[in-house]
Amino acid sequence: MVNTAPLLAARGVSKAFFGNPVLRNVSIALLPGRVHALLGENGAGKSTLINMLSGALRPDGGTIEVDGKAVSHMTPPEARQAGIAVVQQELSLTANLSIAENIGLGAYPRRFGLVDYSSLASQAREACALVGLDEPLSTPVGELSLGRRQMVEIAKALYRKPRVLILDEPTSSLSATETRILTDLLERLRSQGTAILYISHRLNEVMALCQHVTVLKDGSVTADRPLEGTDAAGLVRLMVGRDPGDLFPKWQASPSRTTAASVRNFSAGLVRDVDLDIKTGEVLGIGGLVGQGQEDLLLGLYGAIPAKAVSSEVNAYQALPGGVPKANALGLAYVPADRKREGLHLIHPIITNLMLPAFARLPALKPRNRGSERDLARKLAAQLGIKGDLNRPAQALSGGNQQKVALAKWMPHDPLVLLLNDPTRGVDVETKREIYIMLRQLAKDGKAVVLMSSDTPELVHLCDRVAVVREGRIAAMLEHDALSEENIVAAAVGADKPKVAA
Amino acid sequence: MSPKARIMTILRSRPFLTLLVVAAVWIVASLATRGFGAFGHLRYLVELAAVIGLVAAGQTFVVVAGGIDLSVAAIVTVAAVGLPLVSSSADPTGLSAILIVLAMTTAIGLVNGLGVAYLKVHPMIMTLAMATFLQGLLIIIAGGSAVSVQNPLVGWLGNARPAGIPAGVLLWVVISALVLFVMHATPFGARIFAIGANPRAAELSGVPVPATTIAIYGISGLTAGLAGVLVLGMNGQGYVGIGDPYLLASIAAVVLGGTSILGGLGTYAGTIPGSILLVTITALITVVNASPGWRSILFGSLILGLLLLSGREAARR
Repeated sequence: MVNTAPLLAARGVSKAFFGNPVLRNVSIALLPGRVHALLGENGAGKSTLINMLSGALRPDGGTIEVDGKAVSHMTPPEARQAGIAVVQQELSLTANLSIAENIGLGAYPRRFGLVDYSSLASQAREACALVGLDEPLSTPVGELSLGRRQMVEIAKALYRKPRVLILDEPTSSLSATETRILTDLLERLRSQGTAILYISHRLNEVMALCQHVTVLKDGSVTADRPLEGTDAAGLVRLMVGRDPGDLFPKWQASPSRTTAASVRNFSAGLVRDVDLDIKTGEVLGIGGLVGQGQEDLLLGLYGAIPAKAVSSEVNAYQALPGGVPKANALGLAYVPADRKREGLHLIHPIITNLMLPAFARLPALKPRNRGSERDLARKLAAQLGIKGDLNRPAQALSGGNQQKVALAKWMPHDPLVLLLNDPTRGVDVETKREIYIMLRQLAKDGKAVVLMSSDTPELVHLCDRVAVVREGRIAAMLEHDALSEENIVAAAVGADKPKVAA
Repeated sequence: MSPKARIMTILRSRPFLTLLVVAAVWIVASLATRGFGAFGHLRYLVELAAVIGLVAAGQTFVVVAGGIDLSVAAIVTVAAVGLPLVSSSADPTGLSAILIVLAMTTAIGLVNGLGVAYLKVHPMIMTLAMATFLQGLLIIIAGGSAVSVQNPLVGWLGNARPAGIPAGVLLWVVISALVLFVMHATPFGARIFAIGANPRAAELSGVPVPATTIAIYGISGLTAGLAGVLVLGMNGQGYVGIGDPYLLASIAAVVLGGTSILGGLGTYAGTIPGSILLVTITALITVVNASPGWRSILFGSLILGLLLLSGREAARR
């Protein structure tokens, strides 16, 4: 296996954006029949490297080689022709088109100059079978859950019968079953001689699946070696350049708990007749399978979607907020899961993003004070470790830093209840750790933190209580002593003898 | 930012570039055409630009917030035709009639905003329907005839030149200062940019999106009404169709000035030279001495050409 020639390789490539070097002299070689892991914190340059390997970006220096031959100016269509397929972290599907149409998009089989739908259907069905998609092929992708869409994205890459398959965090929105299907599939493709580049923040997956690893730190390669003989802690050390320590801060019961918000027979969106008490001084987890109404629960409490309740009390106010400005005034803050679409204004400067909640509640025509805005933004950036010029647009930031901005903008307003929707999705280990420490600290400072998460270990190690949502209802409320991954999963799928309390 | 970097930013900004284009066109046209560069002629151009600039002030707010107001032309006409009707000899200054008309046009804008914010009608449909409604109403009320005005304040606004500067231009300067202040120095302005760039994220950040949306369409109605009062003063009489040229002109001025038609980015500081550029082009076409049909074709093509040269923007993700 060592002697086979790489199908796709980068040799000493560099890239800079706006004068900031993102990659320095990076080399990577993808061999047939090998799953190659690419690790690195957010902002380490992984996405940039993928974009260069797939022709979306051109390196400033160095070369990209396909089958050992250097190609200058490779375009995305040329990359596709060379058999390189990428499964992006950001889904590239069109919501209104069907599963089959999405899979074939850009490479429809033709017959007499028209789309040959029957052959499209048969080829798409083949690709779907590989990833275990059994929905009718004519289903619009917009009707699928995030995890299923991710599977369509993977099927789309397979439809092109790639020789090189690049997967950018494919499992971040997949359920355990779907992850297993994907793992088996990659194992099979590998044995057929496909070269696979696998990017994930889930180290146990990497350990189980990959044979070789390249680690990026701040745009340079810090390791390029077989995975054999390394352990997860060693990988983290390579990524962050120091000992990982415990990912989760030590859990401590908070001494004082008072009710910050409580609802009875609360309904919003998918959520039906839920009773919930949110207390200060604790991290309340919201778990369950994807799409059971967890998000509607948060949005309903936040007043962003219509909600009703038989009785409710939010920060001593005897009703639901009913609207976001009112919710903010009552001390509620919400951090969405989809940073790019719901959390941030990507085209606006970081400083404007940080100041937006302030702009939303200041008197409309009170003159702004740019000096104090700058001071406050600098303070927030320093507090949360957001690096770089605050006048850059937010889209210039890496995912982890964007998440910090989405969190930081609420800090000046000292919210009593923080509603967090999957705040660590697609965030690197180091930033995750920072966020965990911050959440525990917030709880310790007497805030109520509501953490909705698709990451079960997070719920187990960080939360004081976890509400498991199933089909729009709270299927179980697990107290800290009863928290374990098994209990949460059992309650989520309804196969439980859960220790129901409260 | 160092002072040098700041100067470079200004030199590269769209408002400044648009201003450069205006200056270049003026210099070339003055050399090529007798009388074009005369002070009186240039002053006249700016006076004409004031009307476009006023309409485009509200349009800039709406476009920055990610919408569009297609009813501005009809609102200009409502003001120009309606003012003579509400003018009464009981008020010798004529101020009350102006205030009534401005209240009316603002109310029309607020209705646009209500439709967009609460009924979730697309701005293009809402304002186009409003324009059609108003045109019908105007035909019923005013018919085909022109109405003259006997209103001292309106006359002064259209014809007086205190210190050699047309009153309309002074009005434009005052409104420009106000608009720039609201847009760039108040939380309200920041909210508008946020709504234009990402309405969902703005809403989740606590921005009162419906109230802000209603307010900006109200502002658009107000500035279009002001423009209608000014054009009535300059013209002496109002008639149905007097506002028609200002629809395309206002949108073109906004976009020529570098404001993104997709919303979220831009400034009225660009719309100001954009308005002057538009009037200059119109004047040059008149000099060519073509028939009205050809003039219209030329005007449309030139705007399209200018936008292709300067107004194209990179696709957003």
